[in-house]
Amino acid sequence: MKRIRLGVLFSYIILFIFAVITVFPFIYMILGGLMSFQETTSIPPTLIPHHFEWSNYATVFARAPFGRYFFNTVLTASVTTIVSLFNSLLGAFAMVNLRFKGKGLIQLVLLSLLMVPGEAIIFTNYNTIAHMGLLNTYVGLVLPFLTSIFYMYYLQSYFGSISDTIYKAAMIDGASDWDYIWKILVPMSKGGLFTVGLLSFISGWNSFLWPLLVTNEDTMRLLNNGLSAFASDAGSETQLQLAAATLTVLPILILYLIFRKQIIKGVVRNDLKG
Amino acid sequence: MKTNQKKAWLFLAPTIIFVTLFSIYPILRAFGMSFQGGSLIDLHWNGFSNYQYIFNDPEFWLAIKNTVLYAVISVPVGLAISIMLAWIIFDKVKHKSFFETTFFMPYVTSTIAIGIVFRYIFNGDYGMLNFLLRSLHLPAPDWIDDPAMSLTTIIIFGIWSSLAFNIVILMGALRNIDPNFYTIADMYGASGRDKFWRITMPELVPTIAFLLTMNVIGAFKIYTSVYALFNGQAGVGNSGTTAVFYIYNKFQIVGTPGVAMAATVILFLIILFATFLQRKMMKKVGEN
Repeated sequence: MKRIRLGVLFSYIILFIFAVITVFPFIYMILGGLMSFQETTSIPPTLIPHHFEWSNYATVFARAPFGRYFFNTVLTASVTTIVSLFNSLLGAFAMVNLRFKGKGLIQLVLLSLLMVPGEAIIFTNYNTIAHMGLLNTYVGLVLPFLTSIFYMYYLQSYFGSISDTIYKAAMIDGASDWDYIWKILVPMSKGGLFTVGLLSFISGWNSFLWPLLVTNEDTMRLLNNGLSAFASDAGSETQLQLAAATLTVLPILILYLIFRKQIIKGVVRNDLKG
Repeated sequence: MKTNQKKAWLFLAPTIIFVTLFSIYPILRAFGMSFQGGSLIDLHWNGFSNYQYIFNDPEFWLAIKNTVLYAVISVPVGLAISIMLAWIIFDKVKHKSFFETTFFMPYVTSTIAIGIVFRYIFNGDYGMLNFLLRSLHLPAPDWIDDPAMSLTTIIIFGIWSSLAFNIVILMGALRNIDPNFYTIADMYGASGRDKFWRITMPELVPTIAFLLTMNVIGAFKIYTSVYALFNGQAGVGNSGTTAVFYIYNKFQIVGTPGVAMAATVILFLIILFATFLQRKMMKKVGEN
């Protein structure tokens, strides 16, 4: 009996240590962004600043156009999410509810493309965008991401669980496919669409390599590129770097904490089927 | 019953157009470009010389070596820690969703931002980590500025970041195990250890196989976390360079897209081979 209790205690200690390791960087980031320069470089390290230096944030906004970065990021992440959701919705509907020649082939091609790492095609896509003269434009930032095989596949599994008889009944009642999609399919799978939207928005928010390639003007930068450029420019001013990092992370963290159930459920469902 | 509803193509059209233009074409183009020399605006056929170039380039081999080492170390360690934590949460803790929410945080947050925090924590002089190590009288290496430590630092950061996804997926799989298995095992007086190795682990094999594949693919694509840790560099003196770093450098900085694409093709083949190898291995494990 005693041995088992000791085991449980040991488990709790391990869990506690790893939970602290996971959360600590976030807390330290927020606290560090409110320290003075001396406090960030003091030995022993400061954990809680004596006086909250809110002025760090004013300095960050004064030194780099973070407002513009926010605007760019929200715009591109929203457009990517809405359009790719729309395209995936139509595609998934066709794959689930319609019968046509070549469906098996399409499915096979799409599934094999899921295996291709994005990094393998991102450079040739840069080439395409450059040829189209779309470097440093919003269109160039979003164009390759306006459809997502991944989300289409996810929605397919979601729509697949809706009985086919509902579709047939709707057709008999004289509804068009378009009616069916918007009046039945979308309301019935609101949860799934919302989750996909959230995941897509988050990954758009955190995108880094693609915007790094296709933009080099400061006004077109996204948040993460702006942040990394700022971190280089700010050099040793750690407190400013941490304040800027907080600006980048906090909105998504809040979004995550509000919708944590949907997001975690979405990720689990997404990937077990893969 | 209509068997061929041609209207389906209309609904699929946007997907097919974008996929062709931005997924299929670039793969073929990358393959073609790997046989071409010159700059982006002046490409010409030059056979296998790009491949010859990268195979004779020590920097390429360093990048491959780092990437493979990173994958081989960070993936199993990360996965083992994840299994341990997921099992503890599942088996012993009441507030499961609280811990799930906590451990999942790194997955949704920007690697660049967290990399900046890690660079600060890892700082050799005033970083929190070395302060802790020194107060425990342990060696306190220069995590960021010592070239010999670059890969270790990258691996630690990689493990930290990988726990989130793994734990959440494993928790999902643990919840799916039929609780009757455990009830019956309890009836026969099975110990906690027996239950873990005889019921939990075998039931988790497909999930672990899936996570292994995802993690290895992810590990081979490592780029952003290195960029963030070393402030846009691949460690001091390029000591922490990775395959994608090499490709980016050859493509964008040096301006030899052919060489970059040859490296891309090799990376792609390595990923395919690694995935294939794992599938085989996990099948063997599943049979035993």
